[in-house]
Amino acid sequence: MIQFSKVSKWYGEYQALVDVSAEVGRGEVVVVCGPSGSGKSTLIRTVNRLEAIQAGEITVDGSSVHQATLNLNRFRSRVGFVFQQFNLFPHLSALDNICLAPMKAAGKSRRDAKQQALALLDRVGLASKANSYPQQLSGGQQQRVAIARALAMEPPVMLFDEPTSALDPEMVGEVLSVMKSLARDGMTMMCVTHEMGFAREVSDSVWFMDRGAILEVADPQTFFRSPEHPRAQAFLSDLRH
Amino acid sequence: MLLHLDFASIFAAPNVKHLLWGVQYTALLTLTSWVLAVALGTVMATLRAMGNPFIERLVAGYVAYHQNVPMLAQLFLWYFGFPTLLPEGAQGWINTHGSEFIFASIAIGLCMAAYYSEDIRSGLRAVSAGQHEAARSLGLSFTKSMRYVILPQSFRIAMPPFINHTVVLFKNTSLAMAIGVAELTYTVRDIENQTFRTFEIYLVGTVIYLAVSLSLMGVGAAVTRHTRIPAK
Amino acid sequence: MLDIFTYNAHFLLLGQYPNGPIGGLALTLILALLGLAFAVPLSLLLALCRVSPYRVLSVPSTVLVYIVRGVPLVMLVFWSYFLVPELIGHLVSAFTTLVVTLVIYQAAYLSEIVRAGIESLPKGQTESARSLGMSYGSTMRHVVFPQALYNMLPSILSQCISTVKDTSIGYVISVQELTFSAQQINASLLTKPFQVFLILALVYFAVCYTLTRCVQGVEQRISRRRATGKMSNVRSIINDSVLQS
Repeated sequence: MIQFSKVSKWYGEYQALVDVSAEVGRGEVVVVCGPSGSGKSTLIRTVNRLEAIQAGEITVDGSSVHQATLNLNRFRSRVGFVFQQFNLFPHLSALDNICLAPMKAAGKSRRDAKQQALALLDRVGLASKANSYPQQLSGGQQQRVAIARALAMEPPVMLFDEPTSALDPEMVGEVLSVMKSLARDGMTMMCVTHEMGFAREVSDSVWFMDRGAILEVADPQTFFRSPEHPRAQAFLSDLRH
Repeated sequence: MLLHLDFASIFAAPNVKHLLWGVQYTALLTLTSWVLAVALGTVMATLRAMGNPFIERLVAGYVAYHQNVPMLAQLFLWYFGFPTLLPEGAQGWINTHGSEFIFASIAIGLCMAAYYSEDIRSGLRAVSAGQHEAARSLGLSFTKSMRYVILPQSFRIAMPPFINHTVVLFKNTSLAMAIGVAELTYTVRDIENQTFRTFEIYLVGTVIYLAVSLSLMGVGAAVTRHTRIPAK
Repeated sequence: MLDIFTYNAHFLLLGQYPNGPIGGLALTLILALLGLAFAVPLSLLLALCRVSPYRVLSVPSTVLVYIVRGVPLVMLVFWSYFLVPELIGHLVSAFTTLVVTLVIYQAAYLSEIVRAGIESLPKGQTESARSLGMSYGSTMRHVVFPQALYNMLPSILSQCISTVKDTSIGYVISVQELTFSAQQINASLLTKPFQVFLILALVYFAVCYTLTRCVQGVEQRISRRRATGKMSNVRSIINDSVLQS
């Protein structure tokens, strides 16, 4: 579904991504973890071109992300992205946040968009908050609306950039359970996260990154029990403490 | 002085017509300057948002000049100074077609454009980059992102200073009297010269200015309240 | 253009001094400073009245501020020109009229800035001062004003710079300040209005822009101190051996 082929990125002199090659299969749930500054957020942001790359190739569902003939907006609508800071639109209600892109980018009618939005809000457990504004919602509720908003465009793949890092601990669970249900429904997902419990429960593959490179790719059981790479071992032992 | 208020003579027929013309000129001058200022201010704010360093410095210089030179000096430079740069024919044409009004509009419009561009710019900057990213990630084009996500938020943020500067623009039209535009202040002085009822005519002029200014501020407060993003 | 400037520089910058009254830029600056010298204390008083719980103070002060904010400066100057001699009883110079106008005008605008500063302070500040037993006046003087004024310092300074620009209104009542002087030079030269008024604009620009940059420097110093200053105060108390013993 998503293919990284020798992807490299530089910020001036500093190389943020070093020759990254990996693949996310259809229906697979991949968790990307690693210490801060390892480039995991940068990597996930290159998929929908929020970050540019200087070398290598990225392919999503067969189409190269950087080809000249790509309709960028249509492409992005097929890649759902959930931000660490939620980034809900404060001047729109939760319902309108979800309806905006389907109506204005996909051309759906207001009635269809609204129907779909209410269904999505119900799916994330927030049907009663349709008319609330983001500032009136808790962090966990905002992030769930953000997930519903990304799902509204019916993307085949969802990207999550540290979706629970900005949340108070007691709200992490409600967001993770939405993500877990998505995974169980067969969504192709790529998640940058520190939530190792989530990784153990639903992920099919764990990528460990450090200093811009993927150092280890393993299934969750193997990775959490006995990681091979020394830096992965150090990372996991730090996490446990 | 206060014991002999005589409003009758200033409200005699020719004076009332005169006063109404003054009000009309003020209104017209305000409108033309405002349109010029908003149009130019929006263009400059957009140019500045594009990130080209040369344009950035150009616009910054424009804003710095217009914010640090008094309105009156700018008016004089435009009205007395600028025509001499034009060819003879153009000068003649302008002189017979209300040069005072034209240059007053240009001077006030260009000056307030600097202030408006700063208001719009700060409104745009106040919207976080995350909003841009979220809108684009959903598949909304740049134009649609601006139209449905960024500008609605910037507009609400820029509204209060924008209204304030509109009131300032309105008050600045009174300076056009110094170059002979027959707007309200000029008319008030004229009527005073003819009737010698200084207090009464100044009072009428002041009340008119106050009424418009306070109305503008009131409309602004109402619009701000009506479009405010609901808080917690 | 440079020769026009150098030929008229003395008149433009100093007026006829020392062979006559001060004029030009010097007079402009004197007008601004004089105006602010009275306007600043008056604005503090006006701001206090605006936030006062006593309606006999808050209502008139609010009305005054709204009138000054809603009426063009030109009209205010004409009002002063007419009213001041009536109130005092004898004729006054245009200079005095202008100063009086500037004082009232700037006091109104400054009082709005000070009021915003007072109202933006957390209520906890006043509450803790009063519960310590401090009087209203003492609270204002030692707790509220120092913080409010410090917070609003950049805005206050910006308004002061505006005063320099506002002195140009003296032109309409023939005060010999910078704009009027430039017009006189123009009247004598007649054929070079563009150069004369460009010089006028550039002189104002040089003065006001320099002052604006200084204000920006102050603003940066304030935000830097905000980031580190409070912490260093705390540290000094912690390291105080007398307190620790």
